[in-house]
Amino acid sequence: MMPDSSTIRTAAREAASEIVGRPVKEGWRLVTSGLIDSLSVLKLIGLLERRLGITIPPETLQPEDFDDVDLIVETVERVAKPHA
Amino acid sequence: MRAEFKGEMPGVTTNAEFCEELRKRLLAQPERPLLRVAVAPDFERPVEFTAKDSLDRAGQLASSLGITKERCVVLLLLPHSPELFLVHLGLVLNGHIPAILAWPTSRVDPEKYQRNLVHQLCHLPADLLITLPRLAENLAGSLPYPARALSVANGASVEKVFPVAPVSERLERGEFPARNAPPTPDALFLQFSGGTTGAQKAIVVTAGMLAHQLKQLGEALRFSDADVVVSWLPLYHDMGLIACFWLPLWHCAGSVQIAANDWVMNPELLLKYTARYKATFCWLPNFSFSYLALRGEQMQTYSLGGMRAWINCSEPVRSKSVAEFAAAFAESGVKKESLHASYAMAETVFAVTQSEPGRKLATVQRSRVRHENHAHSGLAFDLIDDVYVSSGKPLPDTEIKIVAADGSKCPDFVPGEIHVRTPSLFSGYWGAEGFQTHSLSGGWHATGDFGFIADGELFVIGRFKDIVIVGGNNIFPEDVEAVVNSVSGIHAGRVVAFGVEDQEFGTQGLAVVAEMKDEFNEDAALELEATIRKLILTAIGTAARYVSLVPQKWIVKSTAGKISRRETRERFLRERISLG
Repeated sequence: MMPDSSTIRTAAREAASEIVGRPVKEGWRLVTSGLIDSLSVLKLIGLLERRLGITIPPETLQPEDFDDVDLIVETVERVAKPHA
Repeated sequence: MRAEFKGEMPGVTTNAEFCEELRKRLLAQPERPLLRVAVAPDFERPVEFTAKDSLDRAGQLASSLGITKERCVVLLLLPHSPELFLVHLGLVLNGHIPAILAWPTSRVDPEKYQRNLVHQLCHLPADLLITLPRLAENLAGSLPYPARALSVANGASVEKVFPVAPVSERLERGEFPARNAPPTPDALFLQFSGGTTGAQKAIVVTAGMLAHQLKQLGEALRFSDADVVVSWLPLYHDMGLIACFWLPLWHCAGSVQIAANDWVMNPELLLKYTARYKATFCWLPNFSFSYLALRGEQMQTYSLGGMRAWINCSEPVRSKSVAEFAAAFAESGVKKESLHASYAMAETVFAVTQSEPGRKLATVQRSRVRHENHAHSGLAFDLIDDVYVSSGKPLPDTEIKIVAADGSKCPDFVPGEIHVRTPSLFSGYWGAEGFQTHSLSGGWHATGDFGFIADGELFVIGRFKDIVIVGGNNIFPEDVEAVVNSVSGIHAGRVVAFGVEDQEFGTQGLAVVAEMKDEFNEDAALELEATIRKLILTAIGTAARYVSLVPQKWIVKSTAGKISRRETRERFLRERISLG
């Protein structure tokens, strides 16, 4: 079952904070501000997948789809699938 | 049937002879599928060119540029596209000297990028820039040479990030270098070896150097026209340009090309194309092995048993990354004998060593290596693995020696600086000062890399030079420091950049430490950090993993009063981050 929006948002904020190394506030740009690099985007995806029990198929995604907490939530809700 | 083009290639020393030989090889098998370029979003149907199509289209594209002068240095600033591959080829065949520049990441601030670009390009003594229409229009009034437009597949969606407005940046004419002659009479093309600011410089590749490299590497790999290379490496990188484009081209073998950005978000593409096109060679920087292994569970299963060599190159080879990859894809048919390694650099066109096809990679326990050369203790980078992995034996005609700090030659298992001598070795750089000869001692090139030889195989275990290698891309700390030094609020000259190990992916992250000009306070530091991060992304093309603003006198100086990158890095690791 897919987690709800609020769970995704909490996980997104925690995962982003872990990658950045400090608490990430709503609205902070992560990718276009140069706060996280491409490999860190991949680590962020990995963290979200593990914590939410989902798979994020990246085929149609760009790093910009993870640019802030709102976008991460939107991206996860749009493309993620629960683990079988 | 495998045609191996063995033996000498009489007469392939001049550009004209090289081009003639290439045409002959391609036209001997005109209908052979030669080049496949995957263009987003239609990854199901890469654009395909046969050998004859490639030659024809390359010639048409180069001719369409309307270059009237002979032997022009042509800068190519284009995104991944069939046109980039073909116009590079066409310019070479037409006697011009192309040089491929890195296309920016889609995450840059377009206006800042364009302004920065003007500064970079104005300092290069080129004759012409070829780029996408909107960028050509924007830059035209700011460059000391023409900017001509070339439309490419998917170009419209890529260039829409740039504003429709000319760049206002203008440099004084007196700042431009003179453009009066080609780099050298025998230059075939130029390969930028790194450097993203005004200090950009390129290796001059001649027909003789390239023909020698392609022949020797081809023989070491037993490469033939039956092979197929699959690649996500960009053409501005020597591994992408030489191993993944020119090597198959020269042997009339197929290649499948994926854009780096597309691959990072969709690593499965590489495996899908490997299976679909029966690929037999794939060059990857070390981090890709870890990354593919990490994503492997979520991918479909593909038949990968036909791959003759997955070649780990352009980052230090880590046994952990190789083992993770082998384990993750064993059921897909990846055999340990297909895991290989190579030591390569643009200065020798590409490969210096190559492990032997069909043989497992040799390893040496760290405890067997005699780290007795105390004068080498100031390394910029040193592998801390328990097991070192071989990069293979030198290519035929290539010599390697390991040199101790006192200039003597090191015996087996004793590490020192790697020196290389080969007929493929470069003779100079081309950049703002035009062509500058690189002086060699007895024909030997001191690489700045640290390693040892055991049983005739090279093991690369560190480097003296301060290059940071992020995902296979070389980043010069001096470039990053120059960019950050320009930020007001930073104590000019008190900025240090270096690499920090990324254990998970077996690569490095970029770190910057900068002293604040005024008294340190948290709010100002946060603001400065944001400015610096954006600037680095725009000017260097990659994001910094760490940006640390520190009070004055935090950066460590050596006893001679010079800033010490190594000691500052150690202090940063000790005090500012936990590597877990």
